[in-house]
Order: sequence, then structure tokens, then C-alpha cells
Amino acid sequence: MSVSVVWIVPVLVLVAGLQHLVPQLTRPGLFFAVTVSPEFRASSEGRGILLRYRLFVWASTLIAIGAALAGLAWLAILLPMVGYLWGFLHARHTVLAYAAAYDQVVEVELDAPPEGLPGGPIVALLPIAALAALGGWAAFNLDRLPARMAVHWGLSGPDAWVTTTSATVFGFLAVYATLCLLLAGVAWGLLHGSRRIATTGRAAAGERLFRRRLMQLMIIMEYLLVCPAVLGLLLPAAPGMTIWGLALTAVIVVFAILMFRSGQGGTRAAANGGTAAVGDRTPDACWKLGMFYVNPADPSILVEKRFGIGYTVNLGNCWSWAALGAVLVPAALGLIFLRQ
Amino acid sequence: MKLRIDLKSDTPVYRQIVDGLRILLVNGELKTGDQLPPVRRLALDLGVHFNTVAEAYRTLAEEGWLEIGRRNGARVVARALPTKADPQTEASFQRRLRELAAEVQARGFSRDRIARELRQLAENLERR
Repeated sequence: MSVSVVWIVPVLVLVAGLQHLVPQLTRPGLFFAVTVSPEFRASSEGRGILLRYRLFVWASTLIAIGAALAGLAWLAILLPMVGYLWGFLHARHTVLAYAAAYDQVVEVELDAPPEGLPGGPIVALLPIAALAALGGWAAFNLDRLPARMAVHWGLSGPDAWVTTTSATVFGFLAVYATLCLLLAGVAWGLLHGSRRIATTGRAAAGERLFRRRLMQLMIIMEYLLVCPAVLGLLLPAAPGMTIWGLALTAVIVVFAILMFRSGQGGTRAAANGGTAAVGDRTPDACWKLGMFYVNPADPSILVEKRFGIGYTVNLGNCWSWAALGAVLVPAALGLIFLRQ
Repeated sequence: MKLRIDLKSDTPVYRQIVDGLRILLVNGELKTGDQLPPVRRLALDLGVHFNTVAEAYRTLAEEGWLEIGRRNGARVVARALPTKADPQTEASFQRRLRELAAEVQARGFSRDRIARELRQLAENLERR
């Protein structure tokens, strides 16, 4: 059995398990990205649709495992993705026949408690400032840096190197700084550019906690991103990346468990208190294929995903495109510099 | 303290925000010095354009209820209620009340129900 099969098979099973659970993690008023009555998912039609989706998930996973065992690694990765997508789209198409009217009565608590970035804006911007300082130091000390930098790491240490020049150093740092900026921007967007579905009671408390956890994850990831930038530039042969990899995995696993336990927007915690489902207050017609939200009339930049955990961008808002451009252009330039 | 709007209603959203906030202000639920959510925050939560909320805040500021701050926040300010309404306001009030009664009657409200609601409103006003 090859090394790739040893890690592909468990990953396939893990991802299939997550896909199996995802439909239950969305808001009760949503089912396969369609607004339905909160009772629909427990009905016989709802259960049938869920069962067929899960059959798609596990059938494509089993075929992919077969492909992995036959040594077709690329097919083993591609097949489940196609299977999950097909299963989702098929389920969504069926659920559309049971779509409920979109509730357009909105109630907002005027004295809802204020929310802020965990630790404040300085904590969110510190990693970017640290990378900028590192860049400033490198500009005057290029001759003191190692002759080559590590830009990629595998299980057994660095496996991709580039020669240290001013272009590669700044390209390398720009990529990490842009990623940190993206994470800080998402945290800011969650706070100031996303709609609160509930603003009162236990539902609002659950949603606030969910949002805070996501912001904490973004900020912790920023700090974790500074490590490979420093190690790759200053200590490319150091074994610290193994510890970094473990820390990164641990953080992602802990936060994934917290998010899965609470459900999208903290709705699972709220449901225990008997709060009725309110959907996500976005029109079904604005969700393209149930995955892409395009609503120019909605001022939100980020909206809750309808299928899965987390948020997605409102592609109908020009500020979303501006933010995407502000992040992607420097990242692309950084990668071009690195390739040179 | 909740603000409720109906996006399907024939009444413009801007008007619903003004009316909803004015009820809270007149009833004393929003007191002098209270801070209202920033325009951006309220617009996001209601899912309406920023200008809609900004326009509603401006209208209430012109009426003397709010003071709009530098960062789009709004604060409730002390506003003395006039002791006597001008004749134009009185005529407008009576006309709008009659129009509303006729409208809800046309939509199926019984005369008894309308009278009951008006009595309830009058009792609430007298208690304050």
C-alpha cells in the first residue's frame, strides 16, 4: 500500500462524515439552502431527501476509496467532490418544491449589547505590523539572511526553496501579510459587514457566541501564519514547523468541534431554549445554486452560508468585490515575485 | 426595546422606521441620552439600504428628537412637547384617523373592533 493511500482513505472517510452531518447543522428554517418550514426536515419527504443525499455522499466516497486503492489518486480526490456537489444539487432541486414563503417581517433589538473584535483592533493588526517590521529589517539586512529560503514544507521538513533576493523576500512576506490581512478583514466583516439574524433572547446570545468564536479563529490563525514567515526567512532548516503544523491542526479541530456543536449561527444552542426558527432572512432567489449569494439590495458584505458552517460573500455588493480585489491582487503579485 | 418593520408592507420602510422610533420616543421607552444603533448597523440588521435608515434618522432629527453624531450614530435629545397643536395638525390628525378607520374597515375589521382598539389607545394615553 502506497503512502498516498494511507492518508487519502482516512481523509476521504473524514470528509464524507462531515458531509453526512452538514445538512443538520444549518438553521432549522433552511434545508439544502432552501427556505422551508422548520418542521419540514423531520417530515417523511425531508427524511427521504436527506437519505438520498447521504447515499450520494457515501457511494461516491466508496468509489473514490476503490480508485485510491487502484492507485488513481487524482480520481480519488475528484470523485467525492463531484459526488457531494451532485448530491447537494439534486437534494436542493427536490426541496425547492417544498419552499416556504420568505418571512419579511424583521424585528431588531435597539439596545442589543455591542460587539467588538476579540482583544481589539490592535490585536488583529499586530501580526501584519510584525510582518511589515520583518520586511523593514530584511530590507537593510539582506546580506545577513540565509542564501535560500524555505517556501513550502512537507511531512519531513522543507521541500521547496527559493534563492534569497529582495524580490523573493518581499514576495514571500507579501503573501503572508495578505493572508493575515484577509483574516483580519473577515473578522472585521463579521462584525461590521454581516447581518445579525436574531438580536434578542437566547437565539441572539447563541449567534453572538458563534460569531465571536469565528473571529477568535481568524485572529489566532493570523498569529499562526507569522511563524512560517519568520522560520522560512530566518531559520529555514529549523524543525519548528512540525510543532507549528500540530498547533495549526489542534486549533482548527477545536474550533471545528465548537462550531459543529453550536450549529450555523449558534442555532443549536438557541434551539435548546425553545426559540422558533427564523430562517436567515435572505431571499431564496438570490442564492445561485444554493451556494453563491448575489443580492445588490442587501448591504451585507458577508452572509451566513446556507449549506455548511461559516459565512460567504455577497457577490452583489460592490464592496465585496473591492475587498476581494484588495486581498487577491497583492497575493497574486507576491506569488509572481516568488516565482521569479 | 424593539423596532419592527414589514418589508412586504405598502408603507415605505423609511416611514416604518420613523413611525416605529417615534412611538418609542413618545412613549418614553427611548429616553434623553439614549444612543441609537449606528446607521450602518441598523441598516444591516434590517437588510435595507444605509440611506433608508439615514433618511429616517434625519427626519427624526428635524423633528427635534435626535442629534446625529459624527460617526452616523444618533442620540436622543430632550424635546419639549408643544402644549397645543396647531389647527393644521389637528385637522390632519382627524383626517388620518378617519382614513385609517375606513381602510381597516374595508379590509374586514368590524366597527366594534375599531372602536375597541381606539378605546384601548385612549385609555393608555390617559394613564400616562
